[in-house]
Amino acid sequence: MLAAKKTMTLNLTDAEMAALEELCAKKELNKTSVLRQALRLYQLVETRVEKGDKLYFEDEKSQNKSEVVML
Amino acid sequence: MTVDVSTAYLLDVAQDKLVEAQVWDAITDQQINDWETLWAKATAEGMVRLADAGIPRGKWPQSLRWNWQKKAQASQAVLFKPGFCVMCQDQTQGLMYLDLARYRARLPSQYGKHLVYVDFVESAPWNRADLLGGVKYRGVGSILLRAAIEMSRAENFGGRIGLHALPQSEEWYRTKCGMTDLDLDPGKQNLRYFEMTAQQADAFVAKGYSK
Repeated sequence: MLAAKKTMTLNLTDAEMAALEELCAKKELNKTSVLRQALRLYQLVETRVEKGDKLYFEDEKSQNKSEVVML
Repeated sequence: MTVDVSTAYLLDVAQDKLVEAQVWDAITDQQINDWETLWAKATAEGMVRLADAGIPRGKWPQSLRWNWQKKAQASQAVLFKPGFCVMCQDQTQGLMYLDLARYRARLPSQYGKHLVYVDFVESAPWNRADLLGGVKYRGVGSILLRAAIEMSRAENFGGRIGLHALPQSEEWYRTKCGMTDLDLDPGKQNLRYFEMTAQQADAFVAKGYSK
């Protein structure tokens, strides 16, 4: 049932690979799953920003909001 | 659009036999056309039946108000919102949209882990006893929930799924699906939130079809 997938080679620096492996361990996901999830979130944020929405982080305790500026 | 199709089985209630159905990993114009024509006609008949039975509108299935055409438009090419449907006899028997990105597990045993959230799932009106009094095909909801579990496994989420249930479906998720009831959620129209662990998903899939 799962859609056919295409394979690609990805070149990462040591730091990028370390960050990816850290996320994999933390989230109990493999590298493909982390990158697919990152792509979904990137697309979600990009679509909302294109529509004029803003992305914020909010500190629950202090209620401080900081806007994430998307380039 | 590439659509992947797999085989599943529904119970034809009138004939009391299993019939072949197809699970599509997409919702296309064909399903939306069925919703606009076949589903709309049967839903209208169901609403007349509910009104004739004196059932107040507030107790009618809330999903009758769902607009699958708008949901399809909003989900087009959106990676985190895959759609699924069940087809049988070339007619759409059920529709479902998932959310792969915006929800995390709430159960303490799996808190914060990724899961597949079932955003919307609905059976065709002729498969709903609460609407038309009888059921043509049984098993549509189970097939779609298994598709959500399969998606969760494929994404490395272990089969974990979560959803907010409409009131008329709460008992089904609790008893037939074996999901954990995490109480009413004031953040989501006070709907009851249910979650399935990897172990519960294994048990649900192993159980297979059940009336």
